[in-house]
Amino acid sequence: MLLSVEDFGIEFHDHDKPERVVEGVSFTLDKGEILGIVGESGSGKSMTALAIAGLLPRKKLKKEGRILFEGEDVLTMERHKLRTLQGDEICMIFQEPMTALNPTMKIGTQVEEALRIHHTQMNDAARKERAIKWLENVELDDPERVYESYPHQLSGGMRQRVMIAAAMVGGPQLLIADEATTALDVTVQAQIIKLLQKINKESAVAILFISHDLSLIRQISHNVLVMQNGHLVEKGAVDDIFDHPKQEYTKKLISAIPKVEL
Amino acid sequence: MLLTLLAVSFIVFAAFEIIPGDAAVSRLGSNATKETVEALRVQMGLDKPFIVRYLNWLSGFVKGDFGTSISYNLPVSSMILEKLPITVTLTILSMIMTIGISIPLSLLIAKYAGSKFDRISYGTNQFVMAVPSFFLGIMMSWFFGMVLKLFRPGGYISYKKDFGGFLGYLILPAIAIAIPKCAMSIKLLRSAILTEAGKDYVRTAYSRGLSTMEVLYRHVLKNAMIPLITFWGMAVADMIAGSIVIEQVFNIPGLGRILLTSIANRDYPVVEAVIILIAFVVLIMNLVVDILYRVVDPRLRKD
Repeated sequence: MLLSVEDFGIEFHDHDKPERVVEGVSFTLDKGEILGIVGESGSGKSMTALAIAGLLPRKKLKKEGRILFEGEDVLTMERHKLRTLQGDEICMIFQEPMTALNPTMKIGTQVEEALRIHHTQMNDAARKERAIKWLENVELDDPERVYESYPHQLSGGMRQRVMIAAAMVGGPQLLIADEATTALDVTVQAQIIKLLQKINKESAVAILFISHDLSLIRQISHNVLVMQNGHLVEKGAVDDIFDHPKQEYTKKLISAIPKVEL
Repeated sequence: MLLTLLAVSFIVFAAFEIIPGDAAVSRLGSNATKETVEALRVQMGLDKPFIVRYLNWLSGFVKGDFGTSISYNLPVSSMILEKLPITVTLTILSMIMTIGISIPLSLLIAKYAGSKFDRISYGTNQFVMAVPSFFLGIMMSWFFGMVLKLFRPGGYISYKKDFGGFLGYLILPAIAIAIPKCAMSIKLLRSAILTEAGKDYVRTAYSRGLSTMEVLYRHVLKNAMIPLITFWGMAVADMIAGSIVIEQVFNIPGLGRILLTSIANRDYPVVEAVIILIAFVVLIMNLVVDILYRVVDPRLRKD
């Protein structure tokens, strides 16, 4: 088991009244597994993802329960220790590829950054070689040219590929994709899903795939969590959830998928 | 750009027509007889109509002959060339201090945004910004010169004699110029840093395991500096133009000083040349700012 989330909860304290956004969420993720989390916006799925990646703000927020990554609690871990996991063992890609890259830094530098931080023994040439290899792995044409480019010279789909390359370059155990295909158009979405599946097979990286789109979740996931209003509604293998949903909310979600009559 | 310089030169020339005072009188003194003043006016060419004098001066300027100083009887170009390094050094020193102090300090303040430290620095900043350089200069002259005796007010050392001593003398005036500029830089930079720090790429940087200081230095700073480039460019132009006051306070014989004395003496060839030089610096700084924008922000470069 790679990741174990136990009775996890978040309470915001930035307003007068404390606000619970996640409560009593428990699940596990095995090495090499693709786990989908589905839910509407505000269901707490992104908050859970940010907590696992150690990216929740430290102030005005109360965290409960435990998030064990390889047996160690990410929530209570000291920050410098957490940083050794971030970018090396746990990586994350985000919804907006247009803004998730630094506009004034070359793609190559950004892809290599995790190596520069975590693999300090590597020299410049070795880092560049690894970065180019990953730009190739994410199926970007002419990786040498992309390496020297700036983000504004690439399309949204290309930038999301760059984000994946930058996340994978350190050889992580867990890749968190938070609505990573939502901002892309449908054909690019399908390509990115295929790419994530390929990377999952080849690198044996576990993927936490978060989306509000059930058909994408069904396509990519091995197991699925359904979340609503900060609670875990249902969890199970992807076929069980889609073919024999137990909870009313899950049934409602599934019946809302538009069906294409041929 | 040439048109701007032409307009500036014309306006300065016209201003000398309008303000009272006569170069011939100021050179001979007020007891001179009417006849001697008239003779000198003819000799200096002051009896010719305004537009003729302007065109004469302009054609000389274009040929690289800036004319001869009326009060010192020296070529204007050599006078300016001698004073220019003083003001330029002072400006460079002030600029290094402004940038060198404001960047690390704004990052530190931005890191602790919302804390007591942030509030205290905000108040101090607001106060410092309101203090004019010349007043700071006078206070510093008094404190370091009269009280601590670390510095001899008016003891300017020529850069030709002792460059180290010259730099040493310029440190206090440079601080006086830099402090208010620094305060403004910090105010602008702090808010630019905080704006940038809320952007998505910063979260990406954190997700790679960078510490807050690394995120700020490696990712945020360059983006936050983009809006500051204009301000710093204006600051350089302002420092050169503002040297008039601070050079007076610290008794530095730079460009500002000769501008002031030549205005008093109605020494228009010198005034023209200095003002055109200042206008030229302002225009050049605009150009430098445009170039720097392209260097810092790849989105503005043409592919």
